[in-house]
Amino acid sequence: MGAVTDDEVIRKRLLIDGDGAGDDRKINVLLKSFTKWCNSPGTPEEGFMQYQRMLGTLAQCEFSMGKTLMVYDMNLREMENYEKIYSNIEQNIMSAHEKIAECKKEIQRAKRIRKNRQEYDALAKVIQQHPDRHETLKQLEALDKELQQLSHIKENVDAKLELRKKQFHVLLSTIQELQQTLESEYFLLSVAVEQTNL
Amino acid sequence: MGPVELLHMSVFSQSFSPCGRFLAAGNNYGEIAVFSLSAALSPDATAANQKPVLTFTAHEGPVFSLLSTDVHLLSAGNGEISAWSWNELTKKNVKPLWTKRPNYKSSLEIPEINSMIINPRDNSLVVGGGDNNIHIMDLEHGVFKNILQGHSDYIHCVSVRDREAEILSGGEDGAVRMWGDDLVLVLFQSCARPQFGKWISCLTTDSDWMLCGGGPSLSLWHLRSLSPTSIFPLSGCQRQAAFYQDKILAVGEGAFVSHCLLGGEVKAQIPCTPQSLNTLQLNTNSTEHRVLTVGGSSDHIDVFTNLSYRAFSLSF
Repeated sequence: MGAVTDDEVIRKRLLIDGDGAGDDRKINVLLKSFTKWCNSPGTPEEGFMQYQRMLGTLAQCEFSMGKTLMVYDMNLREMENYEKIYSNIEQNIMSAHEKIAECKKEIQRAKRIRKNRQEYDALAKVIQQHPDRHETLKQLEALDKELQQLSHIKENVDAKLELRKKQFHVLLSTIQELQQTLESEYFLLSVAVEQTNL
Repeated sequence: MGPVELLHMSVFSQSFSPCGRFLAAGNNYGEIAVFSLSAALSPDATAANQKPVLTFTAHEGPVFSLLSTDVHLLSAGNGEISAWSWNELTKKNVKPLWTKRPNYKSSLEIPEINSMIINPRDNSLVVGGGDNNIHIMDLEHGVFKNILQGHSDYIHCVSVRDREAEILSGGEDGAVRMWGDDLVLVLFQSCARPQFGKWISCLTTDSDWMLCGGGPSLSLWHLRSLSPTSIFPLSGCQRQAAFYQDKILAVGEGAFVSHCLLGGEVKAQIPCTPQSLNTLQLNTNSTEHRVLTVGGSSDHIDVFTNLSYRAFSLSF
């Protein structure tokens, strides 16, 4: 267990140290200079300067630590942001799929409607070629009336013909009777004349 | 099959399997080739997938008509009809289930069968061919039960009106006959093109509307009133047409598929490989392989996944 965590620690340190270019080294150097400064016999100015230098190094370390913390925060927030965008995009994809399905159904419906419209148009064209129904009815009525009138006239003419036929018949038969009567009288007369001659 | 034979090959008929995954095509040498659509349409298809999975000689003469029922593939050859089981064909077993021959009057000449269709009302097979008659065969019992006579020349195409269960037939004599309760005859005046003749080679119906063409121009007729509503200005003679959604697809002379609107205008002409096309089929049996295939005077069958352009070609 200890070896594992040691490995982890070593790996992490090696990884991190790549970009710090010696943040760890700085802390080690600081520690060394601190111990040197505590044990240094030098003049107070030198000691003061070393002290200032150490404060400077400390400040640098604190600064880089603060920077790293901020970067860590920023990374966390970026991750959240990306998660949000990711789920957003997923939702959009789903709704786009649904919309596509809807549109496909719409297209089918529209095609059917268009087909029906074209069928209506085609039939309408054929119907337009035929004459209007009102006009045809009116023509039919007019023809009917004419037909009635003509048949009326025909009846009249027929009746007249019948009448004339009958009248002529009567005339002719009367004439014939008269002729017969006259002939028979003439015959009787001639017979009487012959008898008196004898 | 040598290169010369491939050059002279014509595809006359096509039919999709009931599951929609296979296409059977018949050519003028009497062979039927079965192509696997699912393999050819898959994203990792190779050139080998565009070859047939099975080719066999079905008849002596050209296979002019192919028809699929729920389990069978019916093929018409020189005067005889053979039935094959789709299941057996997918397992590469090429033994026909049965072969029947309609009763022809003279036994000397054997008329070819040009067109077959199923009448779903009484599950019968309607066959029209070179002897000027329509033979009706009951599919359950396998006997020819009726002969409709009336055409004075051979029959090119038959079709069935689903709702009224009437049979429509068009022939070389230029007449379209509707065989129902009372026989009706249709003749063509306005769309006649005397320079091509009066034969009717393509007939398809939508129960209320009928498309017919051939020698006369392709025209759309309203069947209730028997009046022509639109005439399509297509230059060649059309050999097959189909209603699809709101459009009409027609193939014939000319290396293209014509898309027309019901009103009579030609919307598009999509170019194809064969020089002239004989057959057009839409795969309505399957939702994921919804393609249009056309075949004609070439050994290539063009496949359209999107109606506006040719995707690829299957070849014999």
